[in-house]
Amino acid sequence: MNLKQSMKRRLRGHAGETDVNLTAVMNIFLILIPFLLLTATFMRIAVLELTLPSLERRDRTASAQPQQSIVLNILQIRDEGFLLKSPNLTFPELPRFGGEYNWQGLKEQLQRIKKKYPDSEDVIISPANTIRYETIIAVMDHCREAGFPNISISG
Amino acid sequence: MIFQDSTTLNLRTGRRRKRGTFTLRLTSMIDMFTILLVFLLKSYSADGQIMTVAPDLRLPESTSKTKPPLVSVVAITREWILVDGRPIQKLEEIADNETLIIPSLQNELARLRNISEGIGRLSQQMQGFSGTIAIQGDQDLTFDLLKRIMLTCGQVGYNDMNLAVIEKE
Repeated sequence: MNLKQSMKRRLRGHAGETDVNLTAVMNIFLILIPFLLLTATFMRIAVLELTLPSLERRDRTASAQPQQSIVLNILQIRDEGFLLKSPNLTFPELPRFGGEYNWQGLKEQLQRIKKKYPDSEDVIISPANTIRYETIIAVMDHCREAGFPNISISG
Repeated sequence: MIFQDSTTLNLRTGRRRKRGTFTLRLTSMIDMFTILLVFLLKSYSADGQIMTVAPDLRLPESTSKTKPPLVSVVAITREWILVDGRPIQKLEEIADNETLIIPSLQNELARLRNISEGIGRLSQQMQGFSGTIAIQGDQDLTFDLLKRIMLTCGQVGYNDMNLAVIEKE
């Protein structure tokens, strides 16, 4: 009873001016923030891997594993749009809408290939000479997301 | 820099303040610092930048998360082709060339291949010639030039190409 009363009185006495001792927190902040600012990387560099077929390599891999049946998917990038070709599947050409490529259509077409050939992982990208590097990278990204990680580029 | 004397800030609890004593309201500053700290912790990376990007070069963005390997870099800026930061060929000089191979780049890459093969022969522990090269291209680079660069790299024996990109958030 006594304790309760004294607690009440103490709480009432300091109501409105409870201060937290922030000195330690401030010290941590003052050390951590300059340290993290110095080590922060705002731009991370990644890579997209790409392998050219070579004579040495072909001999090595051909003897190592038996050749699987390969589904040849060819994706042409032109100024006018995309054209995807796959065995036993025909796709309409995907034209550009107002300067922007039809990414949604490309995604759907790649998913249809994946449905028909679930084991297929290769896509050959064949860009026209005037296609920008940025577009090629974006197409490679879309192919990887659709489940075709083995991307080759053909001139 | 570090506040040791808490009375100057009047942070000590339970002290009755005299009239006119200076008080700091630190709450909003702490809020700001907390947000800043969380943001910086998010962008913190323990392994530093392995690859340096050539100046006058804007890499395209990609969703790839693969870390760049430690290999030689062929950079194609708006004006120059650079190998490991050394300018090799001005782009306008080869723009209307009929042949696909770029001779100066081929010579430089062949020299690099010789060096790395020599290192590989000297010691087993050193990494010799791996056939891997990184390509940094400007995002406005057109495919006809990229094709020639890639063909030249492939001719010398650099068949594994890593296209450098900026990681998208």
